[in-house]
Amino acid sequence: MSQLVRIIEKKPIPTEALMLHGLPDVGLVGLIATSYIISELDLDEIAYVDSDLLPPVVVLHEGLPHAPLRIYGGKSIIAAISEMAIPAAAIHPVMRKLTDWAQSKKVKMVLSIGGMPLENRQDIKEPKVFCAASNRDLLDMLDKKGLNILKEGYMVGPQALTMRYCAERKLSAIVLLAQSFYNYPDPEAAAVAIEELAKITELKIDVSKLLEKGEEIRLRARDIMKRTQRELTHMKKSREYDLPLYV
Amino acid sequence: MTHKRQRKRSIFDIMSDYIEDFKTWAEEMIESATSERPSWDIESCSLEPLCNIFVTTKEVVVTADLPYTEPKTVRVEAIGEDLIEIEAKMKRKVHFDDFGITHRKGEFSSFLCQTRIPVPIKPEQMKVSLKHGILEIRLPRKKGYEIKVE
Repeated sequence: MSQLVRIIEKKPIPTEALMLHGLPDVGLVGLIATSYIISELDLDEIAYVDSDLLPPVVVLHEGLPHAPLRIYGGKSIIAAISEMAIPAAAIHPVMRKLTDWAQSKKVKMVLSIGGMPLENRQDIKEPKVFCAASNRDLLDMLDKKGLNILKEGYMVGPQALTMRYCAERKLSAIVLLAQSFYNYPDPEAAAVAIEELAKITELKIDVSKLLEKGEEIRLRARDIMKRTQRELTHMKKSREYDLPLYV
Repeated sequence: MTHKRQRKRSIFDIMSDYIEDFKTWAEEMIESATSERPSWDIESCSLEPLCNIFVTTKEVVVTADLPYTEPKTVRVEAIGEDLIEIEAKMKRKVHFDDFGITHRKGEFSSFLCQTRIPVPIKPEQMKVSLKHGILEIRLPRKKGYEIKVE
């Protein structure tokens, strides 16, 4: 199925870069965080994803067409975002293609940012960030740096496939999940995820502008959040609440 | 040539398939009935907030995301026994221009939505709070009658 997905490169792609994934998910945490990083680092659009499995959508920015699922890049960083909820039926081939492409570009590490739904999120001022890694060495590194490790449980959605495909291909991958609203855009959770990112990478980004624009982001992100929620239901995202069975 | 003997499907497998098909059909019906309309209304100058309903054994919890809201202007009204209306004025008017959209004209000054409650509730005992721009409405469920265990 991954042959049904193409990545069209528009500019030279940096090699041995860090690749961020910020795809629509719970609270749009990854999308908000990665979009903010792209804007703060002033990254260029270097490639985009094309597939018949994706809806026939084009996004107009300043009158010019852009694919909703795009890849940005700079010196040593690549970032994939989607301005459109990825249909549940397309998520496997899209993630497989992104992982194969990352491997072909000798990406050093894939870092996927997302949200972890919390029922009483509105009562929590400072959301916690949990992480998972594709191999034991990375997990030990995260543990040593004092990050909260997600030890048991289910992961559903783009991050789950990033982990699975990167582990299969022996590609280093880390998933950062910030406690967030399930179906409301959560810029505060995105901000804590970015701050946590600074503990494991050289990306030190000031999140004050993101927090200032929080209400505006919540207002703008309503429609994509609504459509993402529908796709998450198709992906059975609620499985993350299930208790795992280990005998 | 090898023939794998096809396993006879049990009635439970068939029922499970029917249930899955029905769920998919129901989801598609709900989507087609509710999704394909804009999240804004020019006539009432309002935006539809993101809204969610949780049903627990004791209560129904309705939440809504109300950014840019003036807390004092939030109004929650029970319309009949199964419909809740939420309205809140925004701190400032928002125009299509603010979203970079220049091919539409219109301004929005409030959030407005109606949410249907799926189980019987006691609207007169409704409790409403607003935290970090998230509105929370708690509605106790109506109790039925108890059946004694013999």
